[in-house]
Amino acid sequence: MIRLDLGTAALRLITLLMMAFLVFPIAVTLVVAVNPREFILPPNGFTLDWFKAAWSSQTFLRGMGVSLVLGISAAFLANALALPAAMALVRNNFAGKAAINIVLMSPLLIPTTIFSLALYIYFVRIGYGSGLVPLLVGHTIHIMPYALRILTASLHNLDPSYEEAAAIVGAGRIRTLFSVTLPVIRTGLVSSFALCFILSWNDFPISVFLAPPGWTPLPVELFSYIKFQYDAVAAALASSLILLSALAIVIIDRLAGLRRVVRS
Amino acid sequence: MIRRILPPLAPALIALLIFVAFPMLWVLRTSFNELAGGAYVVDALTLDNYTRFLGDPWYLVNTLWFSIRIAIVTTVISVVCAYPVALYIAKTTGFQRNILIALIMAPLLIGLVTLVYGWIVIFRGGGLLNSLMIALRIYDDPVRYMWDIKGVVILLVYIGTPYVVLSLLDSIERISPFLVEAARNVGASRWTAFWKIVFPMTMPGLYAGLVIVFSLNFSAFAVPLMVGDSNTQMIGLIVYREALLNNDLPFASALSVIMVAVNALILAGMAALFGRLILNRLEAKR
Repeated sequence: MIRLDLGTAALRLITLLMMAFLVFPIAVTLVVAVNPREFILPPNGFTLDWFKAAWSSQTFLRGMGVSLVLGISAAFLANALALPAAMALVRNNFAGKAAINIVLMSPLLIPTTIFSLALYIYFVRIGYGSGLVPLLVGHTIHIMPYALRILTASLHNLDPSYEEAAAIVGAGRIRTLFSVTLPVIRTGLVSSFALCFILSWNDFPISVFLAPPGWTPLPVELFSYIKFQYDAVAAALASSLILLSALAIVIIDRLAGLRRVVRS
Repeated sequence: MIRRILPPLAPALIALLIFVAFPMLWVLRTSFNELAGGAYVVDALTLDNYTRFLGDPWYLVNTLWFSIRIAIVTTVISVVCAYPVALYIAKTTGFQRNILIALIMAPLLIGLVTLVYGWIVIFRGGGLLNSLMIALRIYDDPVRYMWDIKGVVILLVYIGTPYVVLSLLDSIERISPFLVEAARNVGASRWTAFWKIVFPMTMPGLYAGLVIVFSLNFSAFAVPLMVGDSNTQMIGLIVYREALLNNDLPFASALSVIMVAVNALILAGMAALFGRLILNRLEAKR
């Protein structure tokens, strides 16, 4: 019995250390961002000056705007592509369903380095080398599998008799979709949208390959900034990204359960 | 049937065909092209891009072999760190479990640049760790962690471990607790029950985690770009540099093809090894 507890205690200790390792850089960034004495720890007070500086920088504001527009459009497109596919996959059983599922998930299996390079070369070839289209396409395709995963899971929980009832009282397919199906799976839709948005908002590898000049998303902007200086303004900016991500994590967890993000 | 399932699947499938399949094939085609005048891609059928890499010992040792070694080391460290964590999370319930899973997933959802910033604050020359170590007189001169191979390994382990934890957790949760109980009832020690029942049954999750993390780390370019130095020329970083900085798309394409091929070979080797590991365990039981 004592041995048994020792084993559990050891596991708990290792887990605790691992969690500290995972949280440490995030916590340090948040502390530096509100510490009046730049980098001198422990903090001797609380200030939002660094945040003010970060949020009034034209470069960062522009990056934020680009990331915001990009994230919302990519999340919208990814869900628009994934929703009908998820409905077809959940409602029907057919030969080759597993294969189609793998094909739809394939953007996750391709290393982002190669995926981004391939899109870059392809768009250069068809004459769209620098434009917003490649960037939007790259983000949309990359996040679509995540949308498909969450939407499939929430459609699985949808009782088909709602839609049958709608059909019986004479609602058409479009009407059923908008008045019955979408309202019932709204939590799934919202969390899918939140996940897609945050993945796009935080993405670096795809953006660095595909962002056209003058349209630099925030993470790439932050990267070029910390290449030369890593002051507290950068910490404030990084903290803004962290807080928005934390919000998305809470939304996804409350509405769909975080595990669905990675579980197939 | 086809008429019912094809229209809803078509948009996504067509998007993948146009924006994934075609571009990937185009990478393969471009890898046989030539670069003229240092900037223009000219259609050709040449193996020069491949021989330029495969025939150069510097590239082979310092990028290809280096990337393989880094990927193996970081994957092994990630697995060792992840296994106990997954075992512990599998035992938890309710709020504690939610918090643990949220923390595990945070590095996956928070962007790489943001996380790198935090690590730089901790690890840079006059950073937290060095100040602490020097204050405690553990060493006198700052140790170079960032912009060094150490930084690359730390960051790759940091972003790789959560994937392994989550895929292990998937397979641990599939194990019926009755199996372990049954083994304990017939007199197996806790250790034996773990080793003979739980461990073999986590092999699929372990393998899935290995595959994800190895592939990610082998092809990584953002991490060596951000915290590496001139000695950490991983193959993904060379692809990035050749494509975006040197504009040598044919060479970058050839490197990508080599990268995919080597990755596939290593994964096939790993699959064979895992198949044998599981078989051996089964035979040993008889």
